[in-house]
Amino acid sequence: MIEAAAQLAVNAVALGAVYALVALGFVLVIGAVGAVNFAHGELVMLGGMVGVGATMLLPADLPVPGLLVLPAVLAVMAAVGLAVAGIAYAPLRRAPPTAVFIATIAVGLIIQHGVTVGIGPEPRRGPPLVDSGVLDLAGVGLAHQQLATIATAAALIFAVHFLLQHTRFGRRLRAAAQDPEMARAVGIPVRLTIAVSFALAAALAGAAGLLLSNQYLVTPTDGGALMLKAYIATVIGGWGRIWGAALGAFAIAVFETLVAATASYLVAEALLYLGVLAVLAVRPQGLFGETTGRRA
Amino acid sequence: MIGPDRRNLVYLAAAAVGLGGVVALGDTYALRVATLVGIYAIAAIGYQLVFGRLGLLSLAQGALFGIGAYASALLTLSLGLPAPLGLVAAVLVPAAVGAAVALPIARLDSHYVALATLGLAQLALLAATNLELTGGANGLYGVPPLAVGPVEIAGGWPMLVLVWALVGLCLLVSRAVLAGGRAARFATLRDAPHAALTLGLNPVPARLALFAVAGALGGLAGGLQVHGIGVVSPSVTGFEVMVTILAIAVVGGRGSAPGAVAGAALLIPLPEVLRFLEGSYLVAYGVLLLAAIVLMPRGLDGWLRDRFPRRPPAVPAVPAAASAPPRRRGKALAVDGLRKRFGGVTALDGVSFAVPAGTVAGLIGANGSGKTTVLNLISGLETPDAGQIRLGGVPLADRPAHHRTELGLGRGFQHPEFPEGLFVLEAAAVAARDRSGAVAALDRVGLAERAGEPVAALGAAELRRLDLARALATEPGALILDEPAAGLTSEERAALAALLRRLADQGLAVLVVDHGMDFLLPLADRIVCLDAGRVLAAGTPDEVRRNPAVVAAYLGEGATA
Repeated sequence: MIEAAAQLAVNAVALGAVYALVALGFVLVIGAVGAVNFAHGELVMLGGMVGVGATMLLPADLPVPGLLVLPAVLAVMAAVGLAVAGIAYAPLRRAPPTAVFIATIAVGLIIQHGVTVGIGPEPRRGPPLVDSGVLDLAGVGLAHQQLATIATAAALIFAVHFLLQHTRFGRRLRAAAQDPEMARAVGIPVRLTIAVSFALAAALAGAAGLLLSNQYLVTPTDGGALMLKAYIATVIGGWGRIWGAALGAFAIAVFETLVAATASYLVAEALLYLGVLAVLAVRPQGLFGETTGRRA
Repeated sequence: MIGPDRRNLVYLAAAAVGLGGVVALGDTYALRVATLVGIYAIAAIGYQLVFGRLGLLSLAQGALFGIGAYASALLTLSLGLPAPLGLVAAVLVPAAVGAAVALPIARLDSHYVALATLGLAQLALLAATNLELTGGANGLYGVPPLAVGPVEIAGGWPMLVLVWALVGLCLLVSRAVLAGGRAARFATLRDAPHAALTLGLNPVPARLALFAVAGALGGLAGGLQVHGIGVVSPSVTGFEVMVTILAIAVVGGRGSAPGAVAGAALLIPLPEVLRFLEGSYLVAYGVLLLAAIVLMPRGLDGWLRDRFPRRPPAVPAVPAAASAPPRRRGKALAVDGLRKRFGGVTALDGVSFAVPAGTVAGLIGANGSGKTTVLNLISGLETPDAGQIRLGGVPLADRPAHHRTELGLGRGFQHPEFPEGLFVLEAAAVAARDRSGAVAALDRVGLAERAGEPVAALGAAELRRLDLARALATEPGALILDEPAAGLTSEERAALAALLRRLADQGLAVLVVDHGMDFLLPLADRIVCLDAGRVLAAGTPDEVRRNPAVVAAYLGEGATA
């Protein structure tokens, strides 16, 4: 009983940490360009697929294949992020955010169906991060895999935190997000900052895809649901609030894991979508965000 | 409003070519594709109202299509109703669902609308896939074809003619929805949401109505589809249908109903043309959607409009009574103890002052002292944390912005927003009693002779005057203006000052925020000076100008010289 509860808790935390990574990338782009990146879920999926592909290039029987391919996934996905910025954002800089939103819907379609056409619709298993051992903690067995997932996601989240709060890029990003005109006027390279945000967002998405790909497999159609969860997390956390979104994503994962364990995954999904409609009707400023007026 | 329009001749010619092509091919297959084009055209005509006209990125149109399909299939299969009655349900049920989902999001920004509609779509897909009622993943089979009396309309030419007759009907419905100046009001809600509120336009009924019509048309399309092919499966509620409709709307041209038909005619046959790509036509849709939004953001219809511009509206003569006093009596404006915080910043900390009817008051203060916030609280764009606003003695604080306009409040903006693609007269008429009232308002600001020109032809100073004209067209009893003189030449300032004085003499209470003391001090009867969210000084222009605190905080040394 205790073991089951502990396992459930570890599952929830691992999934929550990964969802938080997904939401972080999603909300970074919202901050940078004020638009939803609808292809963000496809970037998660693509990251998982890149992980699957990179593992095939490695010799078999390596001890920690998932951790070994992580840098490659981050690098490839950062490049993909730059490409997305170049295709779906740069030509639409002066267009309303809805245009960028639609352009990313198109990019998502191209990625999802491009992958399906390229390698087929079958689910694929990504590399395990570490060996499949179990850590015995006072009689409670915790899978190494889950613990490594939590540790990796946490390390990436802290890296993002450091980047945003303590580096020049982070200050520039926050300045550009708040007031692009003013940021440009004081000499911040807004276009470069935005391009880097897309790259960072895609790299985080890719890492999340890799972390999910071993336990949950990766299928070309996975993207939509993941993007939707990041989207919901962003609303729960208060629109555009970076850490609110991460917290919201974590909450969604915990909710999903608990409801799936007691009822079913289907019920969890249905309740989540009903819940977001209720949140929008009652408290659109988010569950965690303080009430602030929008400036007209 | 439009009259004979050469753009429509192009559409008719294209339709004739399409019909010729179908007749020439003549096989069942061509008929089936042409029928499917009509079905998607209907769904897209509906979608244009929400997506194009109101600018809301709804992602539920595919789900509403699917809900229509299931509604009709279930009623004809389970209850044995005749297929035409099922089709009626396919219209009514999605219309109700569309309005129901629009209700909670009726005041929210577009990115929330996208999320809420996506949530609805996911729920519809979950329900279709998992409920026993809907046949689960297999869907429902053996849905009867449509019939008129004993004559079945199962496919081929009869179905094609029926579907395209309904396309024609839907074009008329769309035209009726946009008639009577509603197109201009929807465009104002879409492109100038703040101005729309202060012009008395309420987004809620507009959104409910257009979501309902979009749902009705989407559902009708789904119903036609299910009776045409006899089966329905969860894929009709899936994202592919939504993306197809979105691509049709974007390629056809945002907001345009005939553009939606053209977009469907271009995109729906594509999977057939691209059959060598097998199941990957959605990659092609993605590429086309991206290309359209980047290279041709106004779509086919925008391209045609550039070649065949819309004809200017008929401009009524300036009414002789334009110089007479307005119908509404002037109303005193008063604020009492207004407080407003943004996050941790106190913008207003207990601001009180009054503007009696028939007077001009100037509101001055350094940038960030809270002037615009006062105007936003008075006009209802923001809600005060505490305090009251009275117009002619009537408390306003609990009333939505559009009610305040009805009660006689007019507002001008520092950076006015205008809807795309309108003529000056249409832009001024959105809140006017009628077009001659709009011409009268344009005449008062000296724009009457430009009434038949596109708004895009006006310069910055003229746009400010147009903004003032549309506020005057609401026949306000009190007028609040945000830096109306900024960027004007000295002649224009003199004309504006004379107009504001005339309005006050006719009984209006006029509140003007401005930095130009040479403009404001001779004009105003009273001046209120704000500093850090509080009233620093209030009195006649002379008193305020000599007030040492005002000089120190705002006017600076030398202003009194």
